[in-house]
Amino acid sequence: MSKSICVLPCNGLDKCAGDLSRRVALQLAQSEEVALICPVLLNQNRSRYEKDLEAGDLTVIDGCNTRCASKLAGDLEIAIKEKVNVSEVAKALNIKLGVEIREDEQTQTVVSAVLEKINSSAADQAASEFIEPESIDYNTFSHGKFIFKVPKANYYFNENDCWVTVSGNIARVGVSDYVQQNLSDILYVDPPEIGQEFEQFDDLGSIESGKAVFEIIAPASGTVVAVNTGLNDAPELVNESPYEKGWLVEVQLTDFAEDQDLLHDCPAYFEFLQRKVAEIDV
Amino acid sequence: MIENKIGVISCSGEECLGGTISRLAVRKMMEELKPGMVSTLCLPLFIAGDGGEREFAEKYPTIAVDGCSKCCAKRAIEKYSNAVAGSVDVAEIIGEAKALEKPLSTRNLTDEHMEYVKQAADKTSQIFDEIVAKSV
Repeated sequence: MSKSICVLPCNGLDKCAGDLSRRVALQLAQSEEVALICPVLLNQNRSRYEKDLEAGDLTVIDGCNTRCASKLAGDLEIAIKEKVNVSEVAKALNIKLGVEIREDEQTQTVVSAVLEKINSSAADQAASEFIEPESIDYNTFSHGKFIFKVPKANYYFNENDCWVTVSGNIARVGVSDYVQQNLSDILYVDPPEIGQEFEQFDDLGSIESGKAVFEIIAPASGTVVAVNTGLNDAPELVNESPYEKGWLVEVQLTDFAEDQDLLHDCPAYFEFLQRKVAEIDV
Repeated sequence: MIENKIGVISCSGEECLGGTISRLAVRKMMEELKPGMVSTLCLPLFIAGDGGEREFAEKYPTIAVDGCSKCCAKRAIEKYSNAVAGSVDVAEIIGEAKALEKPLSTRNLTDEHMEYVKQAADKTSQIFDEIVAKSV
């Protein structure tokens, strides 16, 4: 019988965090709904897990920031539904894991925190107040085999190719068509926490493809009020519709009038992107 | 002397009890039997291609400790680096049926399991000694 959740731990042996990824995975696997995936066997014989991966959502547990399990999923082009990093959870708890493998109160605290993170459903988010425009017109230009599109109006961009579009005091943030084409197939979106306050140019989560991880740099300051939950099941929306259905985060703006000074409007970004693409010879 | 320049790689061990045993056997080698004399290589890292693991296994003798006859660790070394200097198949020590039982958390291991760990670690240690003897 196929399981509804697949868990892929890194299973590293040379650091405590890797061992904790295994401990978390083994605990999760006590549920009949969970299929445990061995990273090495997956790499060697993907067909062994094909049915489970088709039927279930993949949760990846990385031990450290080398992110072996995430990289493996990326290399094999398997979409990740949820991801947790043991070292980051330990850091947030102010617990140093080190190299030695140990079974003590501290490591159990980390295991419990990781399990809680995996088991907790997405935070409740209020109904969106963002009013979507009926249609968006685009300007396009081509470079080699690539065609890049930029909205004609109402979007503002930072030079990290992240955009913001405003509706009252609420705005949506996303990445440009240029980013999604560079990354190729998006496999995972790591959103910020709802309620997180941030300044302009702070990190605001990341998106990940088999090729790279792209840090989202906030184009404006504000507070996260919603994330695009549709991307949990369909991260490819960022590829298919980077300016509309593939939005990433909804925010309550702090002072957009001031933030705007450091952003390009659509015509300026269009010119900026043309220069950038020509310079780096995409 | 090539001590300290002998690598040991355990299989990832998520599929079966043999994998749990192989992981603990490698830890026992590192912490009790040959402390400071072996380098453990992380198999997921080895496969990801980071951290210099593949380069180490190319340059120095490396022992694979596998939990079952799928021999994931041995096959990974041979695919990405070099021929293994030696290999241990836990299933050959504790029997295929036992090795294919469900993996366990270390807190659920019994004395019987710890005896399996000892046997697998002893076998690995014996291979280590043979490699050292050949190199002298």
